[in-house]
This record gives sequence, structure tokens and C-alpha cells, in this order.
Amino acid sequence: MKVLVRKTIGIMTVLMLFILAACSGTSTETGTESESGDNTEQASGTLSAKIGVVSYLTGAGAAYGEAITQGLKLAQEEINEQGEVNIELVIEDSAGEADQALSAAQKLMNDDEILAIIGPTLSTEFLAVAPEADLNGIPIIGTSTTVDGIPEIGDYVFRNAIPESLAIPAAMEKAVERTNAKKVALIYGNDDAVTKGGFEVMERTAKEMGLEIVATETFQKGQSDYNAQLTKIKNGNPDLVLASALYNEGAVIMDQARKMGIDVPFVGGNGFNSPQAIEIAGEAANGLIVGTPWFGESDDPKVVEFNEKYEAKFGKLPDQFAAQAYDALYIYADALKRAGEADRDVFRDALAETKDLEGLLGNFSFDEIGDVVMDVTVLEIKDGKFVEFE
Amino acid sequence: MLADIINPYFLQILSFILINILLAISVYVPLSSGQLSLGSAGFMGVGAYTSALLTIHFDIPLIIGILAGACVAGILGIIVGIPSLRLSGVYLAIATLGLGEVIRVIFVNWESLTKGSIGLTGIPQMGREILNFAKGFGFDPAMIGLKSNQFVYLVIVLILLLLVIATIWFVVRQQNSRVGRSLSSIQMDEKAAESMGINITYYKVLSFTQGAFLAGLAGALFAHVMGYISPSDFSYHRAVEILIFTVFGGSEVILGAVFGATFLTLVPEVLRFISDYRYIIYGIVLIILMAVRPQGIFDIHLLNRLKGLKRSKGGVR
Repeated sequence: MKVLVRKTIGIMTVLMLFILAACSGTSTETGTESESGDNTEQASGTLSAKIGVVSYLTGAGAAYGEAITQGLKLAQEEINEQGEVNIELVIEDSAGEADQALSAAQKLMNDDEILAIIGPTLSTEFLAVAPEADLNGIPIIGTSTTVDGIPEIGDYVFRNAIPESLAIPAAMEKAVERTNAKKVALIYGNDDAVTKGGFEVMERTAKEMGLEIVATETFQKGQSDYNAQLTKIKNGNPDLVLASALYNEGAVIMDQARKMGIDVPFVGGNGFNSPQAIEIAGEAANGLIVGTPWFGESDDPKVVEFNEKYEAKFGKLPDQFAAQAYDALYIYADALKRAGEADRDVFRDALAETKDLEGLLGNFSFDEIGDVVMDVTVLEIKDGKFVEFE
Repeated sequence: MLADIINPYFLQILSFILINILLAISVYVPLSSGQLSLGSAGFMGVGAYTSALLTIHFDIPLIIGILAGACVAGILGIIVGIPSLRLSGVYLAIATLGLGEVIRVIFVNWESLTKGSIGLTGIPQMGREILNFAKGFGFDPAMIGLKSNQFVYLVIVLILLLLVIATIWFVVRQQNSRVGRSLSSIQMDEKAAESMGINITYYKVLSFTQGAFLAGLAGALFAHVMGYISPSDFSYHRAVEILIFTVFGGSEVILGAVFGATFLTLVPEVLRFISDYRYIIYGIVLIILMAVRPQGIFDIHLLNRLKGLKRSKGGVR
């Protein structure tokens, strides 16, 4: 029994030591963050606010988080230069895990100066964090979370990522209009929230449009051979293949499909819309149709300027995630101007009233639950390039 | 004063640490009879999904849900444990790892029940349920000077702490009993243990099942602390993480499991200020440790030395 008591005391000591270590860790941390956060001089009369960011910065999907934070930093620089509001970003890493995202968000929410939160990156992280933010009365916006049911979580939950339920039907309608498709085949990744959500939308839309579904096939993340699924799809002889996949798997699927002789167009979701798809699949990517808010090669002066600035600062062209994050910070800045004070509740109300804001991605408004109201551009890959679908 | 110290962020980290300690012990217990099980993530998932589904759909009290989650995982442990007894060492590790993946794939594909990879939302959160319950008796956290969310997380931590202490107490008591001695004799030499008249089938299944039960318990608690679970929470990655907790801290003594889980959960949090490099440091720490101290931080010799030190210097530690 004595040994037990001694051990328990030992454990407690270790625990306490680490809690102390954690405390000291945080205090130094806030110091460094405020230094690196922003260096524009604070003019009198400007409204300043701290915005928390939770992003996927380490791990397999770190590229998404990097694009998002770079988009945010560019927007922050521009907004602070304009001088009406002064935004400071506090960026935390979630490593793509729901529990880490919740800890990071908890840390941000616990800071009374944080006005609102942007992120986390993945839908599975966002679904864990958003209810907590909503209960604490802190506005939170998803810039890359496309699954159904996100703004429905609560009054304080918003998103500016085009949900699959908006992007996919738009792309499907246009594709069906041109090809006169009657029969479609579906293929989707069933172990990822985004591709699974996209599939549900595809299936629903296909039924609504009265299309005949000749095959429904699934695959898993990281799979490299899709011949079994594609053979079944080929036997169904569809006019159109609806593929809810992220670009890394999607591009391989298209490549193998073309080799097998499936020449019909493919319709993809948000995750399929990446220049990487062309890089991986090469010629086979031709005929991919996606619905997206972001068209990087558009000649809209705003987009051109953004591309130039982004490339100058970070040495590469922005993607959809960078653009959506960039717009999200502008939406926040606009709401902050209208709110007139950095108060979470006033800010939320102003945010909910966002209407017809001209952003990179077009004309932006929130609907009554905080979801996106926006026109979707339908793009197609033609001769190895994304062009607007006609 | 009290209200300033109690910070939901620290409490949240502390609750993850406590859950991870349970998980580390769930690897430690089978290991103390020489069985390397990598199925913890799978059993954790079974516990989490069982409890979450029961509380969401049937509105049963959380405590019953959590116990049911742990028991279902434990029963699965018995079912899997008996055939896998023929395996040992690395073969058992591979079989249990496979089991974990099978369980995850079932969660992904059984869409009508588990909503597939999108996961389960709206799982009742333990602290909030207790707060509502306490409010029913006219209790208000303001009466003890706390905000609601501080109270919520404090309650979670206290419950987890009690469970962890009870678990450690149980495991330590068991180790010093006939059962524990049987387990360690099996670990040393199975044949010799059998010839001494120890029923090795019984004891191996017992320790494997205890591990599964603890992992299921930790999973159920995880579900009710997070409020949201998806199959990706219980992937291969998690199984390896749990194993590292135990191996890092030292797999010979229970203190090792506790220390490993605590230290390795805290490191990424404490290093947040260098966010891009924190997992690099985590990796380097593991490599150095495995090179310098392959048996883990704590082993029996170190504990004996510490005890000796305490005796000679009068409890200085």
C-alpha cells in the first residue's frame, strides 16, 4: 500500500511539473506571437482586432494549411495598409487531428481578446470545434469545409467555402445540358468526409435530374489500382462519370479510365479542382468538369492582381484554398467595419448581415443560417488547361 | 483567484492527457504478460462508437453508455483474444493491427449506423450533461465562483482523474497479487510457467481482455469529451501513438506508461510557439530516446535507484 501511495504522489508531482511547464510555455508564446503578428503602426482611431486561426500546418495535408495561412497573411497585409481596421492573426496548428484542433481552438477561445476564429481546415476538425465555439459565443468561419450541415451547427458558425451541394449540381447541370447524358456512373472515396459528402450530393442530384445510375463504386485513400471499379463502370456504358475524389486519387482514376477506353467526360467536386490534377494525369485530365468559385486563370483584374501579389510574396501561384481564406479575412474586416467595435456579439450580427461583398471569388452574401450565397463558375479541362465551360 | 487558474484550455489538455494515460495502460497490461497488442485504437473506437450511438439514439444515461462501451470492447477482446493466443510477439502485433484496421473500415462502411467517414455529431458532452443535472438541483457554478465552461471542464478532469487513479490502483494491486505474478512468469517464460501449473490460456486472455476493456473505456470517455468522433480518430496512426506512449515511458513499469502518455501529449502543446517544427522535435526526442534508452525512460532499476535515493535523503525527489 505504501508503494502505491508513493507512486501516486510521484505521478502527481510529474503532472504538476508539466502543468507548470505548460503555463510558462504559453506565456512566452503569446509574447512571440504579438511580435510576429503585425508590425504596422497603430494609428489612432483604427479599430483593431485579434483573429484566431486554426490550420492544418504539419502532417500529410500541410499544403492546404499553408495555402490558407498564406492567403490570410496577404489579406491581412492589405487590410492593415488600408488603415480602417487593424487585424492581428494568431495562428495555431491542428496537425489535421480533431482533438488537436479542439485544443488549439480552446486555447484561442480562452483568450478574451480573440474576436473570432477562422478554420480549422478539415471538415472532420471543424465539426469538432464549431459546436464549442458556438457555445462560447465566438464567431467561426470555415474557409475549406464543404460538407453538408456546417452552418447549421449554430448561430455563430459561418462558412465561405462553396459547399458541395452548390458546386456539384451546377457542374452536373451544365455537363448534362451539353452531353445530353442519360446514364451516369458514380465513383467516390468512402473514407474521407469531403468525398463522401460530395457523393451524397451527386447521388441526390442525379436522382432529381432523372438520370439513370448504372454503377456506384467506391475506393479508399491512397489506392493506386482502380481497374476493378473502372471495369464495372465501363460495362455500364455511362454517358458521364461522376467522380467524388480528391485530386491525387482523382487524377489517377482518370488516367486509368482513359487507358481503359472510357472517354466520356468526368464531373468532379471541389477537391478535384486543382492544377495538380493536370500535372498528374496529363492528357487524360482533359474532359474533367468541376464547379468552383475559384478560376485562377480568369482575366478579372482582381484575380490577376491577387495572383501577381501572391506569387511575388510566396513564390508560387495561389490555389482555391488561398483565395477562399483571403476572401474570408476580407469578409471579417468588412463586418468589423460595420460593427464599429470589437465585440463578439455585435461582430456576429454584422457578419450575418454581410451582403453583396465583392471578393476574389465574386459577389458574396450569407444566407439566413450563415451559408454561402454565390454564383458558381463551371470549369473544364481542355488541352491541358482549365477553361470556362461553355 | 481560483477562477483565474482554472482555464478551459489547460483543463482540455489535462483531460486528453488522462485519456491517453488510460490508453497507455491498455497497452501496458497485455504487455505485462508478454503480449504486444496494437489493437488499442480499434478497441477504443468500439468503445467510443458504442457509447456514442447508445446515448444519441436511446437517450440512456452517460455512465451506462460509457460502461457499455467498455464492456463491448472487453467482450470483443475475449472473442479476439482466444484465437490470437496461438500467436505471439510480432505476429500478434500484426494480427491486432489488422483487427484495428478492420474495425475502422467497418465504421467507414456501415453508413446507416455510423454515418461513414463524416462521423457522429451531437454526442452528449460529459461535463455539460453533469452541469444540466446539477442545475436541476438548483446548483449554479457561480456559487463556487466559476463560469459555466470552467465548471464543465473541471468536472471532466475530476472524473477522468478519479478513473485514472482507480485504474492505476487496480493494476498495481493486481501486479502484486497471484494474478500479477502469473502474468509476469508468463512474460518471462511461457513453457516454464505452464510446467509450474499456471493456466496460461486463462491469464493471457485475462490480460488481453483487460487491455481491450481499458481501451474501450478510454474511447467512450474520448467520445463524450470531444462531442464528435469520426473513423479517422481511430486509425493506424492512433495505434502507433498509443504504443509509443508506453514504449517511451518504459514498458516494464506502470509509471512508464503514465509518464510517456503525459510527456508525449504535452510536448506538442508546449511547443506550439514553434508550430512548424514541433513534430520534428517530437520525432527527434523519440529517436534519441530509442538510441540511448531502448527500454524507455523508467525501468525497474531506475525506480529502485529513486527509491534508494528517497530513503537516504529523506524523501527528496
